[in-house]
Amino acid sequence: MRRRIANVLRMEWAGMARTPSSLLFLVVIPALLIGQALLLSWVLPRYVNPSLIAVTVPQGSNLDATDAFRLLILGQFQFFVLLIPAMIANVFATQSIVEEKMNRTLEPLLATPVRTWELLVGKILAGAVPALAAAWASTGLFVLLASLLGWGALFPYVLNATWAISLFVLMPAVSLLSFVVGVIGSSRARDAKGAQGLAVLVVLPIFALIILQVTGLIWFTPLSTALLSLGLIALDALMVHFAVRLFARESIVIRWR
Amino acid sequence: MIRAEGLTKAFGDRVAVEALTFEAQPGEILGLLGPNGAGKTTTLRMLAGIIAPTSGTASVAGIDPARHPERAHEHIGFLTESPGFYERLSAARNLAYFAGFYPNLDVPNAVQASLETMGLLDRAEDKVGTFSKGMKQKLALARTLLHEPEVLFLDEPTAGLDPEAARSLRELVLQLKGEGRTILLSTHNLSEAEAICDRIGVFQTRLVALDTTQALRDRQFTPQVRVEIQNLTDELMAAISAEPFVNTVSRDVRDSSTLIVSLQDIDRDRPKLVSRLVVLGAEVLQVREDERSLEDVYLSLVREDMP
Repeated sequence: MRRRIANVLRMEWAGMARTPSSLLFLVVIPALLIGQALLLSWVLPRYVNPSLIAVTVPQGSNLDATDAFRLLILGQFQFFVLLIPAMIANVFATQSIVEEKMNRTLEPLLATPVRTWELLVGKILAGAVPALAAAWASTGLFVLLASLLGWGALFPYVLNATWAISLFVLMPAVSLLSFVVGVIGSSRARDAKGAQGLAVLVVLPIFALIILQVTGLIWFTPLSTALLSLGLIALDALMVHFAVRLFARESIVIRWR
Repeated sequence: MIRAEGLTKAFGDRVAVEALTFEAQPGEILGLLGPNGAGKTTTLRMLAGIIAPTSGTASVAGIDPARHPERAHEHIGFLTESPGFYERLSAARNLAYFAGFYPNLDVPNAVQASLETMGLLDRAEDKVGTFSKGMKQKLALARTLLHEPEVLFLDEPTAGLDPEAARSLRELVLQLKGEGRTILLSTHNLSEAEAICDRIGVFQTRLVALDTTQALRDRQFTPQVRVEIQNLTDELMAAISAEPFVNTVSRDVRDSSTLIVSLQDIDRDRPKLVSRLVVLGAEVLQVREDERSLEDVYLSLVREDMP
């Protein structure tokens, strides 16, 4: 079982390594999001009057209103960074099965002893693992660059339990979900564009999370973040099960002759 | 080795394969002949455990491919109609990927051995995208042989190949038969089927006939003898018609000096016919059996089966 999944992983990664444009996405998407987050953290507190926005200064801190506003923005990065796996999945996962269909390699693959779930899990992990690595690396880079910009004093307030849970539980769960949805789209769609239409559905709830947090409608605590993460892990398991059920091998091999 | 019993596949209201029953033994090549859309590929896919039958059962190498497809795949090599490959990867890398799914297989050795069998070892590191169609087909056959399967399903193995490549592939198929493998082959190529298949199944949604080429020929057409006579006359024809061992006599419409004679037993009665003709004063130039081609047999069977 592990041997067959590892076989799919090796093949997918070899394919990625041979496609420079794929690797570029792994760099460009995080770079754009980091750049955007840093720009917002710099511009907004500078040009928007903090008194216009209800910003709560952390208790016992000597932060002024501008820094408190910047702190609010920096604190959103834990959710903002969730867009990285979701967007990378939109590029990679949506191609995974469609590409097999177009290469006519799916039928020979299905004639080997590989099980459908092993093939799909291999495809999902092949994208989710580098996307998660890219998201973690982006977080590290963001903290480093923000510190270099002189905002290091703010991080003791940001790097809390919520951040840790978000980074190490919520983010892997979101990465997995993004790729599961992308692979489902890829197995059902006729081309990558069709699959991308479905995969974009994962991006929308992440935007909603960011908006809810920024507007103060919901403030994520360690408990609520943990509960959200556990809910997503359960959803991941359910979606993998669905992905296998929805992988209609019969209609795929008949339609893609 | 391959056994199908009442195997049926329907896609909605359309029945693609109806109540297919047959058996194929080790070391046998069984050819499936039929028009486009007759259900040949669907049959191969069902037997290879790629799609499930609507009803009926099958056993391949002693395993039910519908119930245990993964186990069955360890014993089956399936050459699909289109030889799909990852074109940007090398031939060896492609094969290594597929080999990686078989349990307890020494991947590097399996890849090398099957490339060697197909004569592609010198192109092992070349990208598949640079291969000709014939080479891709050979590589696809190499892929089906990676795990040394006992049973091979070959879907149109020589379709679109030039005559030389097709011949070389046919020789390989015969070599595989010689190794004791059971081979089920679907083809449109009648001369190919005749040349390499031990038995032929004429297929049109259901199995219309299944036998050796000669038996099918004998079943569809009464054996006849063509006799070319220098001085053929109506009187001579009438005299021959009266002989007890002769069924029918006619003149070839395309060649008025040729007599077509249907005999009761072609091997027993042919010498009698020749000596009787000579006695009757016929100047016999040539006598030969009127061999019907497999195409005649096939068309006759298919037309007979049409509603």
